[in-house]
Amino acid sequence: MFTDWSDLLLLPLTALIIFLFWASLTPFETLGWWAGWFGNAIYHDVSVSEAETTSSSSEPRRRPATAYVLFLSGIGRVSGQTLSYREQEFLNRLRNRLPSAVVIDNIFPYSVNNLALTGQPIFAGLWKWALARKLDGPALAGYLINIRNLLQVAIAADKRYAPIYNQAMAEVMLDTVMRYHFDPKSSVPIFLIGYSGAGQIAIGAVTYLREWTKAPIYVISLGGIFSSDPGILAASHVFHLWGTRDQAQIWRFLMPGRWSWMAASEWNRALRQGRATIIRMEGMGHTGRGGYLDHRPPAEGGPANVDRTVELVATIIAYADQPERIPRTV
Amino acid sequence: MSDAALPGFLETLRLSLRLDPSIYGLLRDKTQGVYYAALIVLLAGLSESLGQSVVLLLNRVRPRRFVLALSITTVSNVFGYLLWSLTIWSVGILLTQKEQDFREVAVVVGLAYAPQIFAFFELTPYLGNLIWGVLSLWSMLAIVVALHYGLGLEPWQALLVSALGWVVMQALRRTVGWPILRLLSWLQHRAAGVPLTARLEDVARLRRHTLRNWYEQLEARRRSVRLPPVRKKRRRMDGQTNHVHRLE
Repeated sequence: MFTDWSDLLLLPLTALIIFLFWASLTPFETLGWWAGWFGNAIYHDVSVSEAETTSSSSEPRRRPATAYVLFLSGIGRVSGQTLSYREQEFLNRLRNRLPSAVVIDNIFPYSVNNLALTGQPIFAGLWKWALARKLDGPALAGYLINIRNLLQVAIAADKRYAPIYNQAMAEVMLDTVMRYHFDPKSSVPIFLIGYSGAGQIAIGAVTYLREWTKAPIYVISLGGIFSSDPGILAASHVFHLWGTRDQAQIWRFLMPGRWSWMAASEWNRALRQGRATIIRMEGMGHTGRGGYLDHRPPAEGGPANVDRTVELVATIIAYADQPERIPRTV
Repeated sequence: MSDAALPGFLETLRLSLRLDPSIYGLLRDKTQGVYYAALIVLLAGLSESLGQSVVLLLNRVRPRRFVLALSITTVSNVFGYLLWSLTIWSVGILLTQKEQDFREVAVVVGLAYAPQIFAFFELTPYLGNLIWGVLSLWSMLAIVVALHYGLGLEPWQALLVSALGWVVMQALRRTVGWPILRLLSWLQHRAAGVPLTARLEDVARLRRHTLRNWYEQLEARRRSVRLPPVRKKRRRMDGQTNHVHRLE
């Protein structure tokens, strides 16, 4: 009798062991980088950044930028290029809405040195294959990329690895904004928009960015999933955009610091001290149709979700130092 | 029972992981049991040292030195197993007033090490503590079950022996075992090739850059790569119509 159900369990058990094996190996990427095994470089993909650098940074050179907006993509990415039409549309509209700000998105927030998965020394082939599956067919293999990036989010939330990973990400972010002529000694504010799992990455990096620049650093969590990280209190202010239909927010229950009765956690302290604000996004889901970045006008009329999100982000960027002026419900 | 009827290594491992009562009695007094137990302890020791290797990397150990330091930790873990078996053996004799063969105790305790083969999984980001807790509970159960079925101790005796054994081992580590542990730790420091100053609890204080204006060197560290542009989803329908056009 026992052999029967244990045979039945064998498949999920094998899958679990393979997953745990993979998951246990992932920290070596971060730790090996720290130990200097993979060199010191910060990579950037010239095939995308060249075009964007010339188009968006030649302007700020004439006119100093009023804000640097760094968009950190959700876990679907493999490189600094976006795969998502909705993300692209959101960024275009945001750039048009904020002509004096530098909006940057060519950053891959799930790699310690900004090296795209498709450029990795050993596994590039595997990721190219997974990317092809993701683009060309609704194959399960495409989800390998999401799982891989989710594990990086877990690293950024793990107390053992987070300080290492977050320092790496802060370096990548500083390097990216400096490529667009950001001066660490200036007081031009930096806005980190963390979409989904990148909410954790954005918040985690603030602790270190804060040590290197005098500029105010704000975090805009776009349906972000994050733990109660010390970065929440290091940020000038955290704006958490929370869609009323965002089911991914259930993940917060995995993070003890986000539970409301953990009064001493960074998140709850920030909420009490008015250094973090939750903004309700009426009727918005996490992703896809009805999500924060949906560009189609809703059936019941009114502006598209992406326009409401862009407008709110623009308001936050304009009045970040006076959070009381920012609406609590959109 | 002839040796041919004994389970193979993988089967032994599987049964030990399931805390199957039969495996302890079966292998207790066999030479093969000693080999299997030794192999399980070695694998568990290696897995444990990998699970604890974060601190080596935090101290920026070079790859070769990393392997060397890992092997020293593995040896140290095997030494810990011998000490553990020794305490269980002596506490058992004192408590039950029955003569026990040390070899049998060593085999049974070795088989109870099986769950620690997964100690490597403690590296899993965010879930490490949970996995550590599950493995600790599993190992604790394993040693009680092993002592009960393998050495014929009553359940309460098995529980008492392992609990007392643990206390005695902690005492030994601080007294008689201390010089040996010091020696192993000195060896590990030598093997690492760098001073192991940072501990795991220091991780939040570690900084990669001590200079405030370090970012002025960022330019020099930049490396450009040229990646193929991401190919958007192919439009199969268009492809087909083109094909048709060409045929026409």
